[in-house]
Amino acid sequence: MLLIDQLSFAYGPHVVLHGVSLEVRSGEVLALIGPNGAGKSTLIRAASGVIPIQSGRVRTNGDDFAALSSMQRARYLAVVPQAVSLPAAFTVWETVLLGRTPYLGFLGQPSHKDEELARMALERVGAGSLAGRRVGELSGGEQQRVLLARALCQSTPILLLDEPTAHLDLQYQVSLLELVSDLAHRDKLAVLIALHDLNLAARYADRVALLVAGAIKALGTSRNVMTSELLSQAYSLPIKVVDHPFLSGLIVLPELQNHKDG
Amino acid sequence: MLRKFFFFILPVAILLVACVPSSVNTPQPQAATGIVQPTIVQTQPTPIVLTDGLGRQVKLAAPARRVVSLAPSNTEILFAMGAGSQVVGRDELSDYPAQVPGIPSVGGSMGNFSTEAIVALKPDLVLAAEINTPELVKTLEGLGLTVYYLSNPTTLDGMYANLEAVAKLTGHVDETSTLVQSLKARVAAVDTKLIGVSEKPAVFYELDATDASKPFTAGPRTFIDLLIQRAGGTNVASTLKDQYPQVSLEELVVLNPDIIILSDSAYGETPEKVAARPGWGTLAAVKNGRVYPFDYHLLSIPGPRLVDGLEQLAKLLHPDLFK
Amino acid sequence: MKRISPFLSSFLLLLLALVLSLAIGSVFLSPAQLWAALIGHGTQTSDTILWAIRLPRTVLIAMTGMALSGSGAAYQGLFRNPLADPFLIGVASGAGLGAVIAMSINWPYSFWGLLAIPMAAFIAALLTVFVVYSLARVGRTVPTTNLILAGVAFSSFATSLTSFLMLRSTDDIRRALGWLFGGASQSNWTAIIAIAPYLFIGLGVLLVSGQALNLMQFGDEQAQQLGLNVTRAKTILLISASLATAAAVAFSGIIGFIGLIVPHVMRLWWGADYRRLIPLSIISGATALLVSDIVARVVIAPQEIPVGIVTALVGAPFFLWVLRRAKNQGYW
Repeated sequence: MLLIDQLSFAYGPHVVLHGVSLEVRSGEVLALIGPNGAGKSTLIRAASGVIPIQSGRVRTNGDDFAALSSMQRARYLAVVPQAVSLPAAFTVWETVLLGRTPYLGFLGQPSHKDEELARMALERVGAGSLAGRRVGELSGGEQQRVLLARALCQSTPILLLDEPTAHLDLQYQVSLLELVSDLAHRDKLAVLIALHDLNLAARYADRVALLVAGAIKALGTSRNVMTSELLSQAYSLPIKVVDHPFLSGLIVLPELQNHKDG
Repeated sequence: MLRKFFFFILPVAILLVACVPSSVNTPQPQAATGIVQPTIVQTQPTPIVLTDGLGRQVKLAAPARRVVSLAPSNTEILFAMGAGSQVVGRDELSDYPAQVPGIPSVGGSMGNFSTEAIVALKPDLVLAAEINTPELVKTLEGLGLTVYYLSNPTTLDGMYANLEAVAKLTGHVDETSTLVQSLKARVAAVDTKLIGVSEKPAVFYELDATDASKPFTAGPRTFIDLLIQRAGGTNVASTLKDQYPQVSLEELVVLNPDIIILSDSAYGETPEKVAARPGWGTLAAVKNGRVYPFDYHLLSIPGPRLVDGLEQLAKLLHPDLFK
Repeated sequence: MKRISPFLSSFLLLLLALVLSLAIGSVFLSPAQLWAALIGHGTQTSDTILWAIRLPRTVLIAMTGMALSGSGAAYQGLFRNPLADPFLIGVASGAGLGAVIAMSINWPYSFWGLLAIPMAAFIAALLTVFVVYSLARVGRTVPTTNLILAGVAFSSFATSLTSFLMLRSTDDIRRALGWLFGGASQSNWTAIIAIAPYLFIGLGVLLVSGQALNLMQFGDEQAQQLGLNVTRAKTILLISASLATAAAVAFSGIIGFIGLIVPHVMRLWWGADYRRLIPLSIISGATALLVSDIVARVVIAPQEIPVGIVTALVGAPFFLWVLRRAKNQGYW
């Protein structure tokens, strides 16, 4: 599990995260929602150790990440970053194999097991046919799936995803979230996923954390956190949350300005 | 903190650089400052032992039969003393006297020398000059060759001493002795004619005027400077700091030379072109038509032709005395 | 291209270049003469030419090419910039300044006296890297943008200082230019022994850093998240590449284009994986410089063009050709 304890981060005088505390348990999907600029990406980057934190701690069972080397941390925690520019010349296969870095020897030569894991990861995200293609030739969605495959073969108990559905078609959004759900519930990973689509968050998250202006406004089940009041306040927009008429789950809708409905 | 350190270093570095003496260059040239007696061994069968311009002791069992010259000045010197037939190789720039272009080249000039070519000629003596680097001397030494380095003379006596050294190395002691006597006599003749002359024209010796607003000239500590004075003139650039300074047109107007010598006439400069240069028409020398082309070889190559140069200069500076 | 082993073909080309470098020179030696000299039965002249002139020169040129190309590839990976070359952060200008300052001092003509200039160049090169690195550092990280900016600034500073010094002492200009343009026409075993340890240590570290460089292509953050200690990796890479470059520059002067172009050609032919790119660049760098040196020796024999001029004259059009071919291939 991932324990974030009173994490604070600032860019100079501008504070982005105010003492955020969060626990992501093994076997659950915790969705991180909130408006842009709330600090979702920053929280993920801070937790993965690529930006220096001003105060607070990030721990797993017993181990404080600050005391670990990059290599050790990479065995606990894998990150699927938000759409980043990837070096165009690398092939999908080479990219995914890099996920095995924390386990490779001195010279970085992968073993058969490493290659097998990479192959399986590619299959699992539905990108098996892309293995030989250059990353620069792929669409945004395809790239996103490759990054997920890379994170998968890093074989970590904790997985952080920063808005992975941003460039995907609906069918791929769904299949990715199904996969993420699977990873949590079947493989018992602790998954923290930042999402901007509130409906998907409501459907797939076991718990939800609402982050507004660098602080956790609410933390709990989707029913508890995603209320009309809380969301309207957080997003500065009238939002209505209702129960789905026949599927179990919530529907989140912004209220229309010109009332079309009665 | 280191940033502050760096900004402190900057001015210090500039200061240090400014203090580095500009005229010292390659390792100790020794035998060139005037009257020098190289170590000599007199009797015939015993080997020739001399100390060269880098302070190296050079030994030859007998006068050299096959000589490779690495500088135009050396080539001229060798031919002047009658050792021309012993020259088996020369540098790319050597072209005087007329037989020289026919001798195989071993490289040099803009490019580097071909050590292979030098070795292949099997010389028993390689004659280097200050225009060659000490690294080259070391390399040739390392290949088993005997190298003698002639440093640039700064006086006429230094030039005679170089002639005498090469004479010993090549077995032309008597001819050279005669040559030196005649050179000294010619110089003495010039000196004599100039006794009592009080009128010393101011001379501007132009080396390069590609940028006509800032021509290059020969300053203090050069042979040109020395010989202008010896020829009964004064060098307007004598008071400047650098050896080969660039003089702005304004400065030149202030210095106001009586005579302008175009040593770059070989590159197409003529008195007519000079008169046409913007701003040059105001100079006294131009107005009086005392702008003369000159063969730069006569004063730039530290060999016996320096005396020719002296005589030519004297004719230009005091035409009434030297017909 | 995929069928031939890149290593085999590169090695074969290198072997060919080595043989040609020993066989060709401004003095023509027939195969019979070469063979005789090789087995110890040659004339004194051909012996001297082969063993005392061509062999050390070949070795020094090969080593220089290896160092420049290997560190060029590493710099391109480190800075994620296709225009990076071993001189990006000022090593060349620093070395040049050191050499020219040393040349303005009267060293005695002796073993150590003549070693002063290469030593000054070497030390100045390393000092430059240290200064640039320190200027670029922000807290515990070294942003690559800062490195480039600091390097460019320092380069300009050093270059103008060098020009100033050269202008002040016209006697030295010829010697300084000769050194700056690069070339190994005066190569000897002393030089080789002097630079060998630094060169091989530097290149050795680069050879095992391929994976780290691969990771760095994804940016500092992703590389860190995948387990690389990015700051430490950058520092080690910078030091090793600079060590190799400084060693190459000390005796051979500034030879451009090899460090820039050879890695690109390797990338175009064999892909961007640095675990292969580094060793292939090293091997092919030696080949490229050997070929350039042969051209430099032969084209206007017996004059020898400084090899830095040949690499630029040949390298520039070759580079443009490679660029044209690569335009749409996404090979970077």
